[in-house]
Amino acid sequence: MQVPEDLKYTESHEWVRNEEGLCKVGITEFAQSQLADLTFVDLPEVGASVSAGDEVAVVESVKAASDVYAPLSGEIVEVNDALSDAPEKINEDSFGEGWLFVIRPSEPGELDGLLDAAAYRGLLPEE
Amino acid sequence: MSFSRFCIFEEPLPYPEAVSLQEQLVAARLADEIPDTFLLLQHPPVITLGRRGRKNFLLADENTLRKQGIEVQVSTRGGDVTYHGPGQWVLYPILKLGRNEMGAHGYLHALESVALQTAAHFGIEAYRKEGKAGAWCDQGKFSAIGFKFTRWVTSHGLSLNVNPDLGFFDLIVGCGLVGERVSSFAQVLGGQKCPGMDVVGDAMKGVVGEVFQRELSAVTPDRLLEPDASL
Repeated sequence: MQVPEDLKYTESHEWVRNEEGLCKVGITEFAQSQLADLTFVDLPEVGASVSAGDEVAVVESVKAASDVYAPLSGEIVEVNDALSDAPEKINEDSFGEGWLFVIRPSEPGELDGLLDAAAYRGLLPEE
Repeated sequence: MSFSRFCIFEEPLPYPEAVSLQEQLVAARLADEIPDTFLLLQHPPVITLGRRGRKNFLLADENTLRKQGIEVQVSTRGGDVTYHGPGQWVLYPILKLGRNEMGAHGYLHALESVALQTAAHFGIEAYRKEGKAGAWCDQGKFSAIGFKFTRWVTSHGLSLNVNPDLGFFDLIVGCGLVGERVSSFAQVLGGQKCPGMDVVGDAMKGVVGEVFQRELSAVTPDRLLEPDASL
């Protein structure tokens, strides 16, 4: 199971990539594998302000809906509209083209509180 | 074998109350205040839309439906539109799926097994359909499935048609599956031979224990949210 070293993670299986102050967020390869083939994604509104831990998006596979949580507080500045027509991108490339949204953090210190790759790997079942 | 609670509701529970109860149970389960819990209940007539909320699968307008005593509710579960009402059991498991346990596929498979094995208990031949969720017999689909994960705690679940008025299903395109027939135990077995709701409910409880490998203890609705001292 891939867990890229350069990302931060949450216990609820989101990943965060810090790109010069803006944070791109998605769900991990493990999370997508647990949900199986995704068929629907409900993304937040651009401009919405969110707090860490808020339910901000929903991903849905055949019959399972699952919440996605904001890893950080801040403003949603971009969402991955391409997913509306192609939610399978999350299954195919969860750390790349399957990203969900971008947050401009209002409390950048929260980033330090997230898990690093090693800590996140420790949460996953042993392969 | 792990210990879980099983609650059978004697009275129909309105859909919004069932949603709110499940939300409270999910929060309590996340906080480890209660053990895994299964709810088995009936709803007053209601049509629910999944998060996708595709109203084009409603074949009557909401006013017409209300006149017939049917509410329309949008639900946070997965899946498309469905009907719930008297004569149909719904099973709502509130389970914390551990990290070494099943994901959505495994959980879906387990719910389908509950429907299939319950049907088999009454001599009904039932099966899965590749690529679709639910359970079928030759006469049609008798069990629909749609659920939600909240940090891997489950809610919503499965419905199983024992003896509902199947005419209500003509008002929707069930699960968004066009041309899909809906059936029930009563239709397959004949009204006279159809077991009562209580009998089917008890059988489902036995099947749930086997499929999920749980020892089940009965709990009444009023005690569902009481913190469990043994945890």
